Amino acid sequence: MSRRFRFYEKKRGDRRTGSKQFGNVGEALFFGFFLLVGCLALWAMGVFLIVPEWRANRHFVETTCVVLHKAVGQAGEPESQRYRPEIEIEYNVDGQTFRPTIYDATGMYSVSRASAEEALARFEVGKEYPCWYDPIDPGRAVLVQGYSGWLYLSLLVPASFIAISTRRLIYIWLNWGTSAERRSMMSRRAGELEFFEESRGKALANVPSDTNWTNSPGTHLAYRLPIATTPGWTLFALLAACLVWNGIVATFVVMAVRTHLVGEPDWLLTAFVVPFVVIGMMLIGFLVRQGLITAGVGATRLEISNHPLYPGGEYEVLISQAGRFQLTSLNVFLVCQERATYRQGTDTRTDTCTVYRECLYTVENVALEDHKPFDGRCRLVLPANAMHSFNSDHNEIGWKLVVRGSAANRPDYERDFPVLVHPPAVESPPE
Amino acid sequence: MSQPQVELELAGDRRQYQPGETLSGHYRLLGVTAREVRAVELSVLWYTEGTGDEDLAVHFFDRFEPATRAIEVCQPQYFGTQLPASPLSYAGQIVKIFWCVRARVFFTQGKDLMVELPIVLGAVAAAKEVEE
Repeated sequence: MSRRFRFYEKKRGDRRTGSKQFGNVGEALFFGFFLLVGCLALWAMGVFLIVPEWRANRHFVETTCVVLHKAVGQAGEPESQRYRPEIEIEYNVDGQTFRPTIYDATGMYSVSRASAEEALARFEVGKEYPCWYDPIDPGRAVLVQGYSGWLYLSLLVPASFIAISTRRLIYIWLNWGTSAERRSMMSRRAGELEFFEESRGKALANVPSDTNWTNSPGTHLAYRLPIATTPGWTLFALLAACLVWNGIVATFVVMAVRTHLVGEPDWLLTAFVVPFVVIGMMLIGFLVRQGLITAGVGATRLEISNHPLYPGGEYEVLISQAGRFQLTSLNVFLVCQERATYRQGTDTRTDTCTVYRECLYTVENVALEDHKPFDGRCRLVLPANAMHSFNSDHNEIGWKLVVRGSAANRPDYERDFPVLVHPPAVESPPE
Repeated sequence: MSQPQVELELAGDRRQYQPGETLSGHYRLLGVTAREVRAVELSVLWYTEGTGDEDLAVHFFDRFEPATRAIEVCQPQYFGTQLPASPLSYAGQIVKIFWCVRARVFFTQGKDLMVELPIVLGAVAAAKEVEE
């Protein structure tokens, strides 16, 4: 028997199987609590700090007082004491004498005893000073006026609580009982209001823009294709990973070696360090391999006769390989890959699957020379019923040309050159 | 008393469309009164299935609230839209793209009712996994 109301069940990504309404209620309560906390804090700051300070500056009446006594007031636990100046004054209002112990309107304590003492030093017992009293309650007065900058800055804390909670509560309210289709339409309309949105007005939904492909003309054919990841960046990333990993591991290695040198070997530490050392050595191996590829294999350049590609279309491709080495084989593949991103718990994972792979070009045993790169040409025919490039938040379908080379006495290398495939042209594409 | 139903039909009973073609049809509510229906939504949309989290986008959307329109709730409601150039329907290995026409009825009381007609946009071949 199926349950009518599911409180909590397994979920992966957005595929919730529990009650959506229960989730909405929980989320609304969570943010409602933070909204309440923010409002209470703002109210307390307003009533106890901001309004008194504002009234002391704007409404209090000036008079003259005599300082009777001064001391540093203390509050809090002995290990976390806080201080404020406390000054007993005497003044007369309409023939009535008042003797409050005051300083400023907020009466806040601070962690600095020195600043409290500094404030007290400006007043001498027995001397007269100006002070300001509250005409509504003449027993309340201040010795100093002015606005506390920190007070207005600290308003940001409750204000941010209120802003974040309110925004989320409005979102929950707008989506309460709203279908996925309506939400999608609302977000689409909101996107259309973004005046500087790059994709605005483009006819092909969820097909990446071809700007990066067509802004680099080729020397022999129409366009030079951009490379997915330059070998230099791969080398840099590997170098950084190698330094960080081996730097940390080296500390433990030194500790382990020392125990052996002093004749008190710590075998547990030694055994613990060994797998990390092995991984470090592998990283060094990858680094050396990548270094050989980067330094030994020159630039690979691909040019294409037209771009973007269309299903059923025929294109000419030029491959140019620079460097100074003996190429055992050089292949160019046309590849289509699906890429799916999903959340599993708190992790975000990505799976890829190759669904099309065709060898367009093969050449073997070519001797490359420094001054003259190897050039080859081939024909690319895209299948008539091929899927176009597609890109959404969690799913992607991408096409690329892959150059794979093997060289004598060097590791094999592979370089990717993404291409963009558009859907078959529509005579008057709808908006 | 009969159960509420939604009759959703596409013109010519078509299921296969090409980009740029017009998709049209109608829906009709059966076994309900205007008072019982809060709103009806008709969408033409695509969504993904497969390994990744679901993506969904609406191409055409119409919301009909009986209280705001002086028309009979059980009369056929006609709709039509020109289909876009992308994304095309696709049956991949870990990414699949489906198009459908979906009618969703929100009642003043009780669970929503949803009816869906799958359609195919374009003629892309199904994909198979290939060896690296």
